[in-house]
Amino acid sequence: MDRELLRQCLTYHGASLLDKLKCEQTENPDFQAVVSDLSKATSESKGEEQGKPLVEQFIARKADILFCPTWKIATCQKEGHVEEEEEAAEPYATMPPLELFMEVSYEERRSMLYRDLERGDIVVGRINNIREYGFFLTLLCMAGGLTRDVEDLELSALCHIREIPTTGNHDDPLSYYQIGDFIRAGVKDIDRYQEKITVSLHQASLSSNFEHIKLGVITREELPVHYSRSVRAANDSSETYEYILKSCHGYHNPSVVDYLLEKVGITDTHPPSMMRGLQSKLFQEEDFASAIRKKQSASWALKCVRAGVDHFKHGRHVEAMNEYNKALEIDTNNVEALVARGALYANKGSILKAITDFELALESCPDHRNAKKYLCQTLVERGKQLEEQEKLVTAEGLYRRALALDDSNPEAQEALHKISDTIQKSIRLREEVLAKEQVKAKTSQTSADKLRKILKEEKRMKKKRKRSASSSSSCSVSIKSSSSSSSSSSRRTSKKKKKKHRRSEHRHKRHRRISSRDSRRSEEGKSEEVRKDKDEDEVEWYPAPPNTSATFLNQKGGPGFVVRDEEEVEEKDAEEKRICRLYSLSAASENEESDSSRKESKRRDREASWTKKRSSMSRSPERERSRSRERRDKNGERGKEYNRRNSDTSRRRSSGENSRRRVSCSSADSEYSRKSSVRSEYSGNTGSASKHSDNRMRCDLSKRNSLDGGRYEVRGKRENFEAEVKSDSKRSESTGNHKPSGVTSAAGERPKKELPANLLDIFNQIAQFEKEKAVGPKK
Amino acid sequence: MEGPSSRVPSTQHGGLWPSGGRDLCEETESDPARDMKTHFRVCRFIMETGVKLGMRSVPVATACVLYHHFFERVNIHAYEPYLVAMSCVYLAGKVEEQHIRTRDIINVSHRYFNSGSPPLECDKEFWDLRDSVVQCELLILRQLNFHVSFESPHKYLLHYLLSVRALLNRHAWSRTPVAETSWALLRDCYHGTMCIHHKPQHIAIATLYLALNSYGVELPVGERQWWQVLCEDVTEADIDTVISDLLQLYDMEAKCI
Repeated sequence: MDRELLRQCLTYHGASLLDKLKCEQTENPDFQAVVSDLSKATSESKGEEQGKPLVEQFIARKADILFCPTWKIATCQKEGHVEEEEEAAEPYATMPPLELFMEVSYEERRSMLYRDLERGDIVVGRINNIREYGFFLTLLCMAGGLTRDVEDLELSALCHIREIPTTGNHDDPLSYYQIGDFIRAGVKDIDRYQEKITVSLHQASLSSNFEHIKLGVITREELPVHYSRSVRAANDSSETYEYILKSCHGYHNPSVVDYLLEKVGITDTHPPSMMRGLQSKLFQEEDFASAIRKKQSASWALKCVRAGVDHFKHGRHVEAMNEYNKALEIDTNNVEALVARGALYANKGSILKAITDFELALESCPDHRNAKKYLCQTLVERGKQLEEQEKLVTAEGLYRRALALDDSNPEAQEALHKISDTIQKSIRLREEVLAKEQVKAKTSQTSADKLRKILKEEKRMKKKRKRSASSSSSCSVSIKSSSSSSSSSSRRTSKKKKKKHRRSEHRHKRHRRISSRDSRRSEEGKSEEVRKDKDEDEVEWYPAPPNTSATFLNQKGGPGFVVRDEEEVEEKDAEEKRICRLYSLSAASENEESDSSRKESKRRDREASWTKKRSSMSRSPERERSRSRERRDKNGERGKEYNRRNSDTSRRRSSGENSRRRVSCSSADSEYSRKSSVRSEYSGNTGSASKHSDNRMRCDLSKRNSLDGGRYEVRGKRENFEAEVKSDSKRSESTGNHKPSGVTSAAGERPKKELPANLLDIFNQIAQFEKEKAVGPKK
Repeated sequence: MEGPSSRVPSTQHGGLWPSGGRDLCEETESDPARDMKTHFRVCRFIMETGVKLGMRSVPVATACVLYHHFFERVNIHAYEPYLVAMSCVYLAGKVEEQHIRTRDIINVSHRYFNSGSPPLECDKEFWDLRDSVVQCELLILRQLNFHVSFESPHKYLLHYLLSVRALLNRHAWSRTPVAETSWALLRDCYHGTMCIHHKPQHIAIATLYLALNSYGVELPVGERQWWQVLCEDVTEADIDTVISDLLQLYDMEAKCI
């Protein structure tokens, strides 16, 4: 109980109230604690009986509420913040001071003002005297902090010259002020005994609520509204309080009650009441409308879900879906409805929709067992779909998610195991290829020079073939790498007829290193893309695949791929396919996010690239070749750089591998940059992997068209690939486009099986020759 | 009353309304006293419902005023008071621009009468109740001749509070919960018919007067009393009447609830 308040009350009402209090509040321990104090207070009281036993009875009965410290909910409102806008818009009726109407005596008002005026209040006055040390104001009214009628109180306030802000000129600051000016000033000090007020024009003198109010000279129009109203009321006796109140715009403001409640500090959501049965502590949260509605919606929705499940069990899927949707309309995010609808979607094959529903359900209820179970199953299902579409990393991510939901799910475990095997193998393969590329890059730096040298040498030593061949094995390798497709290389060396033999040797070697060559090609295409990307966005610079080879190698460390014999060619092919699949998945994951509109745009893209490709075909091969050679040199360097980075990123990745989010994120990152590589890779592979002669033809054609993974060619191939993967109809269309220009060359027929028997002999010869050549440099 | 709206007898929803049973035990009392208690209870119901529905003070007050005006014109036994109260809440929401949905009104009321019960099913009973509320709203409108807008004392009280605050020392004011007390008293006065028998200004002044009195706050005295200034035609006797009416309601609380 608020002792001070109670004492104040008792002082006012006298001893009779105390008696009633003692009688009514006998069981209130709070009152018993303060009662001894209070008897003293009543003895000090004026003794005059207020003569209202009913009121006293009321106070006594409700004392526990009235004097409860928590009853005072209104916090001391810092008004004044909005005072100025208030006056302009007048959200409530700004009334003249009440004492004006009450005609309180001069002395009482004067003493009340000196009692209540505080530092930081704002007063408005008129200058009546200017001295060298400052000027004097006759106070007209209050403008903030206190609303009192002061005009006739003959109050004078001094504004010292120090309290007048200087403008920076050397003029006397007082010269700006004239007698009769209206001045708004902040109260600096009040001497209550000698009744002296000093004011200041410095903004700092104001209390923080009024900081925005400008001090200084004001016009008559800027005088406070209540002042002008009180002037009018003082002059016209018909202007009563009630009359002014009702004539104010603010009184008719429809939200005046809400505004003033806030201003006074009363809450209307937990309204106060003196009734015992309406104390806000008696209201329970679950009885409130919103709580019941929520509960009711859930139960209504559940009813619909039950009906839906019933329909579903009887095979009436449409009706079931209608019920579920109705349930979700009643109660958005109803967990059961979401789960049931998700299950129905999954049943109907709309796996993505199902996943969304399950996820939503788990969002609002993370421990829902069925939602978890179903989501897990659906994710695995989706993963298998993706796997079929060769989007391996995405599929892997899904499996991981599934396992995160339910780590004992055997299906998910198995699927994950399988897919990580696949990915790991392909990654290892790629790593290796990259490593080779790095080696190559070193040599190919000067490959152009070397090539020229070699050519000269070879010319000189036409007849001594062996010696010319032994010039440098690394050099020959570099040639190989550059002349990826022999049809073009044949043209390059067309003047040297003697080269033919060597070329066949190359071809032989090429068979042995199909994979390396292909990936090399891809690297070239890739790094070209990368170069572009780099300009655009440094950050997206070719991140490593999400699952680092390092971890996988550590796990397995099995058979190396370093040594390869001709017998392994078959296996390599298979390996390659897997690489392609791995690569293709980045392209595919792009597909995944795509909706129909994106597909549409892609198709348009493709068409565009077809035309581009055709135009590139018409270019002179010579130019193309020289350009590509330059490119290749650069690419060598880039490849190295890439490798370095790659290993860096892969190391980083391996540390955070277990974080699923990170992985998926990284796969998304890499998607962009890897895309190009994927596609070129695939293009290199089509010849061997594809069973369609059309494809081969296309492949050959583009090979002939540009030397190495030139951008246009790669693009074209990519489009082939996409067309193939996506829709058969599209593929047939694109191949149809291409057929007429297709010119087959012997070089395109790489697959071993198709080699004529007599070539094998030649190969054998070459193999022998190579051995000798390898020995050559050591001599 | 003729017409379809009069077919909202209290018997229709006997299952929901407990009042029939409660009233029986008080038959020994005289009719006016019993009716007063019934109104008190129903108004308490309106206020509790208002709080649970998140209604502001003015719409709740309007609902009570609608209720009292309605039963000034009709016999309390002709209509089910709680149904009328529900419709009054609904109508007051419309009048005071704080629309309350019938579903919420029905839900909260149902829980008021069957505390701890699960929410109503979306079945015929629910829709019947909803129809009753809407029908009864029409009945009220016709009974009141579509005069449903009333001047509320709330605005007066708040303006008075500001004016009186200016008279006092700000520290004394912030120490004394006059605003809360007067607001509580104003809300409580809607428990009885006093809210429609007194002028809103008088009610506002009386609640403020009682609040100031309760804390022993003394205002400066001039030629005229502060309440005389606030309202020209109020007399000390008026204030006393309002206060005694109000205090009677507090006594009644102990008797009825």
